[in-house]
Amino acid sequence: MGVINDDISRRKFLSSAFMALGLGFGLGALGLRFLQFLSPKVTVDRFEEILVGSISDIQDSDITPMEIGNVRIFLLKTDTGLMAFSRKCTDLGCLVNWDKARQEFICPCHQGVYNRNGKNIAGPPPRPLDRFQVVQKGENIYVKVRVA
Amino acid sequence: METTIEEIKEKPLKDRIIDFIQKDVPDHLDSFSYCMGATPLIFFLVAAITGVLMTFYYIPYSEKAYESVKAITSEIYLGWFIRGLHKVSINLMIFTLFLHVVRVFITRAYKTPGELKWFFGVGLFFTTLAMGFTGYSLVYDQVSYWGMTVVMNMIAEIPIIGSPLAYLLRGGSEVSEITLLRLYDLHTKLLPLLLVLLIGGHIVTITVLGFAKIEGREGTHPFYPDHAMKVGLIAIGLLILMVNIVTIFPPTIGPMADPLEVASNVAPPWYFSAVYKWITIAPRQPALFGILIFSIVFLSYPFIDRFLTERGFNMERINIVFGAVAVLAFAALTLWNAL
Ligand code: FES
Repeated sequence: MGVINDDISRRKFLSSAFMALGLGFGLGALGLRFLQFLSPKVTVDRFEEILVGSISDIQDSDITPMEIGNVRIFLLKTDTGLMAFSRKCTDLGCLVNWDKARQEFICPCHQGVYNRNGKNIAGPPPRPLDRFQVVQKGENIYVKVRVA
Repeated sequence: METTIEEIKEKPLKDRIIDFIQKDVPDHLDSFSYCMGATPLIFFLVAAITGVLMTFYYIPYSEKAYESVKAITSEIYLGWFIRGLHKVSINLMIFTLFLHVVRVFITRAYKTPGELKWFFGVGLFFTTLAMGFTGYSLVYDQVSYWGMTVVMNMIAEIPIIGSPLAYLLRGGSEVSEITLLRLYDLHTKLLPLLLVLLIGGHIVTITVLGFAKIEGREGTHPFYPDHAMKVGLIAIGLLILMVNIVTIFPPTIGPMADPLEVASNVAPPWYFSAVYKWITIAPRQPALFGILIFSIVFLSYPFIDRFLTERGFNMERINIVFGAVAVLAFAALTLWNAL
């Protein structure tokens, strides 16, 4: 008797476990679909060389921010030549400003400091400013940036 | 008096309701530090009502968002008053939540069987802070924009789940009007729902498990009328306080969000300024890791307490030291940031 009873309860257990598993999978798949609906569409990165000016425009004395595409950069002459730095702070993504008096890039959010060559020298930033490739064709200067 | 299930079932609904609202509450709820839990609830109700009112004017779309908040603040009749009440109630809610947490921590009210109350409470605490953050973002001024940027990048630093979560919340790799709409939905729908569920859970566990027991104060008094009257009086007092604060300090609005310029005085609200100062002074990875560890310890504290008690530690004293250090550190960082 006991053995038969055991079998029944085991069968019962197995069948309800199986149902629970199925239900879990079904609901899980539905939940996953909901999440997929919310996740932003992935854009493929495309790089383009964009004309930003001619070599004679670039002055040593004043460094002005520019916006090309959706990218904010500083274009300047550094110790190692012409550089296009991203203005995005490598710490938590604020925008850095050029401080003329100190000759440094300053991030106002948590007082991150970078020197003229984009190197992080004080505050929280973990690495130097990101750089974009600068291409010089004759007099013209192009910067290669990601476009959406 | 012992009542059996049968007796309860036989009672008419009216009597059962009367029984329910006349449930005894312990006498120690009479002292102010022990009724700090009901005050955030009062503030929450005010914030909820004024929040719903503002959704009739707010438009969750970039410049429109800023303009509509501006209109609420300066054009719409009594708009400044409603927005002011919303702001003040949230600020006071967070302040009293801080006090409540400290009191519960110092008196170790989370001890068995109070763990569940603690978990609901910690959930409430973090959800309320999330409400504070999302609410600030909706204004779409400079603090909102750069606050969103920085917080999203902080979320992205959480191990494993961080960057997909940040991507999902932002609706892309950059803060945009999609982000604003998502935070708006969180602020006005999902988080309030979560808050209500958590408040419900917190209160239900208290009625089921009972209040924390305090040595030497075993007396009780009925919830209604004694305690309800007292809470009502406190509510009226708080309402008067809020109205006064709003009229003396009407709400203001900063310059509009500018993705091309970080204003130099972008400072978060006071309840985040300790964390803000912390991530400014400490190296990035350890700073964020510290916050994560602190949150995990905070959540699992009842277990840590039990673990240490079993090994003979005097938790009463440890908690007082720990609590005092935490409060002092919070105060010091907040003041330091204000300088
Ligand atoms: S975001 Fe630039 S220092 Fe933190």
